[in-house]
Amino acid sequence: MSAMDPTEVFRQEASELFEVLEGALLDLGQRPDDRELVDSAFRALHTIKGSGAMFGFDKVASFTHEFETAFDRVRKGEIKPTQELISVALAAKDYIRALIEDPQSTDDIIGEAILDDLKRFVSADRSDAPVVEIAEAASLAPAGSKQAGWHLYLEFESHILRNGSNPLDLLEDLCKLGPCFVVPVTDGVPFLDEMEPEDCYLKWDVKLHAACDKDAIDDVFMFVQDELKLTLSPLEHVEPPAPAPLFQLLDEEPGPMAETPVPPVELPAAPVADQPVAKSEPKSEPRPEPKPEAKREERGIATVRVQAERLDELMDRVGELVIAQARLTQLAASGSDLSIKMIAEEIERLASSLRDTTIGARMVPIGSLFGRFRRLVHDLSRDLSKPVEFVTTGEDTELDKTMIECLADPLVHLIRNAIDHGIEDTATRAANGKAEQGRIELAAVHSGAQVLVTVKDNGGGLNTARIRAKAEEQGLIAAGAVLTDHEIHQFLFHPGFSTAQTISALSGRGVGMDVVKRTIENMRGTIDLSTRPGQGTTVTLRLPLTLAIIEGLLIRVGEGRYIIPLSAVEECVELTAEDERSRGRNFLNVRGNLVPFLRLREIMSSSGSPDKHQKTIIISTGESRVGLVADQIIGNHQTVIKSLSKLHSDVTIFSGATILGDGTAALILDVAQLVSLAQSKVEKQHINEAA
Amino acid sequence: MALNPSEPKWSLRLPADCSIAAIRSVYELIREAFGRQERLEIDCSSVDKADVTSIQLLLSTAKTGEAQGRPVVLTSFSQSLRNTLRRAGFTSEAMIDQHFPQKKDGT
Repeated sequence: MSAMDPTEVFRQEASELFEVLEGALLDLGQRPDDRELVDSAFRALHTIKGSGAMFGFDKVASFTHEFETAFDRVRKGEIKPTQELISVALAAKDYIRALIEDPQSTDDIIGEAILDDLKRFVSADRSDAPVVEIAEAASLAPAGSKQAGWHLYLEFESHILRNGSNPLDLLEDLCKLGPCFVVPVTDGVPFLDEMEPEDCYLKWDVKLHAACDKDAIDDVFMFVQDELKLTLSPLEHVEPPAPAPLFQLLDEEPGPMAETPVPPVELPAAPVADQPVAKSEPKSEPRPEPKPEAKREERGIATVRVQAERLDELMDRVGELVIAQARLTQLAASGSDLSIKMIAEEIERLASSLRDTTIGARMVPIGSLFGRFRRLVHDLSRDLSKPVEFVTTGEDTELDKTMIECLADPLVHLIRNAIDHGIEDTATRAANGKAEQGRIELAAVHSGAQVLVTVKDNGGGLNTARIRAKAEEQGLIAAGAVLTDHEIHQFLFHPGFSTAQTISALSGRGVGMDVVKRTIENMRGTIDLSTRPGQGTTVTLRLPLTLAIIEGLLIRVGEGRYIIPLSAVEECVELTAEDERSRGRNFLNVRGNLVPFLRLREIMSSSGSPDKHQKTIIISTGESRVGLVADQIIGNHQTVIKSLSKLHSDVTIFSGATILGDGTAALILDVAQLVSLAQSKVEKQHINEAA
Repeated sequence: MALNPSEPKWSLRLPADCSIAAIRSVYELIREAFGRQERLEIDCSSVDKADVTSIQLLLSTAKTGEAQGRPVVLTSFSQSLRNTLRRAGFTSEAMIDQHFPQKKDGT
């Protein structure tokens, strides 16, 4: 197993941080007073900056630093984040992302323009917050009488530099609060042989000659508060030191070192042990000693970053193990050795448990995907001048990581459609007595072995008459044909079908919904539409939890064996003589309901005579139910899905294959395709009967 | 990064990048140089990127040299290194001299 490229690790981490940053910025647009969101955005920015510098992404570090500086007034509460400011901040985030992922595509001029915009928005608002400025000025003003400043002793945790934090930046920020006298404490620096070069050994003793609020100091260290032992005590009646304070020296042009006399430095033998004062309350009791080891341990076991391809590899291995176990079980069953049977059962139990654990390890909360769409909605809402509230629920719902990746494009399309075609413009909404702001809900929920993902808008709903007219115009249905609304809506999934009167950059070309449907069906899922005129449309995607291993129902048709995904099976019934007599019509009577059925022997062109007592497996996709007639139901089967070769790509009724315990292959039936086949047969039958 | 064993003393030029991204290789180089000669001269003129780790490594080198009685001399501090030292609180030449054994003609 090869070690991961550190730059790649940074890219991955940055990618997660960008999601956090983007989410925080978008939420800020809704809740501009939420300090936690500002802090969250800043923490993400700070880590990106620090890690960027550590991994040699100098441009990233310097741009992010500028971004941070410009946004600092938001952090200080001096200005409120307006929508314009959020939009520029999002553009800045995109630029940093491009600097990391595709630096060739970036241009310094664009970066500078973004920063200029950011600074302009930040400074333009300066007049809006005089009260805060005065308050802050007052807090920083010398107290004059009692307190002359603060004495700080800074001891960072050894790993802090590895996290991308830079104590020198923090010292610099501290020096912005007032004249600062910084003395490095070098006692902790070990001999070469004992040294870990990336660890932090330096400590700092700082005298800050400013009667600033303690909160101002806390602000400086807010991002490293878990990694810093800060001892803070007030300075009283102390004159500012003779040498130039550090912050002034830093402002000088680079040149020879200032020859300032070294003041007598009192290096504490122990970190101001005689007056340890709690960081948050200068005059309170000493706080309990933190236990960094315990904290580290806790962090260490929380999550482990694993390359996605290793999880795929693990899943493959588990798949092979399940197949081998099935063979062993079959072998043991055919013999009479009891001990072998016991071992086979034990291995079956372990393999099943390992399969579940592995599938669990591949599960990713769908929230990681939902977060991406918030930006999409924000941008589309702005571009189309349609204010839209975007609400997500069920972010914790877990889905196989491969499914999450496959789901992104279809959802982008559905959300675009919802905003572009679903949500009406503000004037229309107002005329219809609706709130000006439209609403799109993206939700995920577990339903048995499936996950339901819904995209719901409160727009105008589908125009069934227009869809019908378009379908007639395109020759998809005969004029005046009797169809239910649901059937008419299905034309939206027809390739090239669009009712949009104008083609926009977003939609209207009739390319998309068919692709969405195909993608979802390739994932062994289904898509369903429901709409209420004037009230909106809901698109529901039903997806299996995983694509790798499924529970299947093994059946025999003639000499061949096939798998039906168990999640699609509703029930199994015997094909009665009455049903047999209905040959030609192919309908079953299931508790008073007529269910069309397909004879798999006919579809598979099986030779030989059928079994005397044929079985029907009722399968369903959404609202459609179909019976599949087979010779024998063999039983449940843990099915490791193997892809079919390209040679079989045009055989649509199979979604894959699996290897059975005896080493032979069984094809997996594509439920959605079979249902669609049955429906088309029923339609043909209707047409023939009508003729 | 260059070692020059032809001179009576062992002279080592630090690379441009002495930041945390490259500090381990610099550390290995200094340790290797330490094992060779009595006297070690470290040329800091090329250092372009420095941070806390660079300062600590130089401090540790000086401390180890002193403890082992093996002279270590630092020469030609680059401006970048000086700026980093200043940011870390080594604000005066006297203070730098106190912690880092500099060769004055080389500064």
